Amino acid sequence: MQGTLELLILKTLSRDSMHGYGIAQRIHEAVEDLLKVEDGSLYPALYRMEERGWITSDWGLSENNRRAKFYKLTRKGRKQLDSEAANWERVSQAVTRILQTA
Amino acid sequence: MKAAIDVLFRRRRKSSETAQDIDEELNFHLELLTQKHLQREMSLTEANDAAAKRFGNVERIKDQCLAIRRRSHPFLVALKSLLILTFLTGIVVRVLSTALNTRRIGDLLIAIPILAGVLLYVRNISPSSFVSNPETALSLRLNENVQPLFTAYDKGMHTPVERLISDK
Repeated sequence: MQGTLELLILKTLSRDSMHGYGIAQRIHEAVEDLLKVEDGSLYPALYRMEERGWITSDWGLSENNRRAKFYKLTRKGRKQLDSEAANWERVSQAVTRILQTA
Repeated sequence: MKAAIDVLFRRRRKSSETAQDIDEELNFHLELLTQKHLQREMSLTEANDAAAKRFGNVERIKDQCLAIRRRSHPFLVALKSLLILTFLTGIVVRVLSTALNTRRIGDLLIAIPILAGVLLYVRNISPSSFVSNPETALSLRLNENVQPLFTAYDKGMHTPVERLISDK
C-alpha cells in the first residue's frame, strides 16, 4: 500500500493545519480501525512530504497550550493530492470492476 | 580560522536543534497517546505500553526523520550544487583549453567532485538510499483482526480510504 499513507495525510491536511497527533487521530477515526496505522510511521512520511514541498511546518501552541509542530498543505501539495486522488480512483475502480466480474 | 570554527559550531548546534525538535515532536505525540489511554482508566504503566505499541519503534522513527532532515540540510544541498558546478566547469575548461597546464586544471576540477560524490555516496548520503524504505511501507496495512478485506467495503462498495478521500 505504498503511497497510500501520503495520500491519507494530504487529504487530512486539505481542511486545516494539524500537528502529527491530530493527523493520526483523524486518520484513525476515518478508517475506523480497519487499517492498522502505526502512529510513528506518519513522521518519516511527513518529513519526506515536507522535503518534496507538499507541506510546510511551523511550531505553534496546541489546544492544551503545549509547543507543537503544525503541518500545512502547500499549493504543490494540493496539486499532488488532486493527482493522487484521481489516480487512486482509477486504480480502485479497476480493481472493483475485476472483483465484481471475475 | 575563527570564522571557520564559528561556522562549524553553528552547524553542529543547528544539527542538534533538529534532533531536539524531532524528540520534542515525538514525545508530544507519545504523551497525548498516553493521556488518552489514561482516560480509559488504565494504569500509567499500561497506558505507556499501549501508547508505545500504537506508536511503533521510537528510535527507528527518530533515525528515519533525522536522516531525511540531514539530506535536505541547506549545507548539503549547497555542497552538492557546488560539486556539480565544479564538475561542469572542469568539462568546459577541459574541452576549450589547448594548453597542457590548463587541461590539467580541468582534469582536477572534474576529479574533485567525482571523488567527493563517491565519498558522499559511501557515507550513505545519496538520495536513493532514502527512497521507498520497506519498513515504512509496511507500517500501513489492513487490520485483519477486525474484519476481513471484503466486508471493509460499505454499501456503496467504497473502501475506507475512498471514504476518507470523498469525505467533504
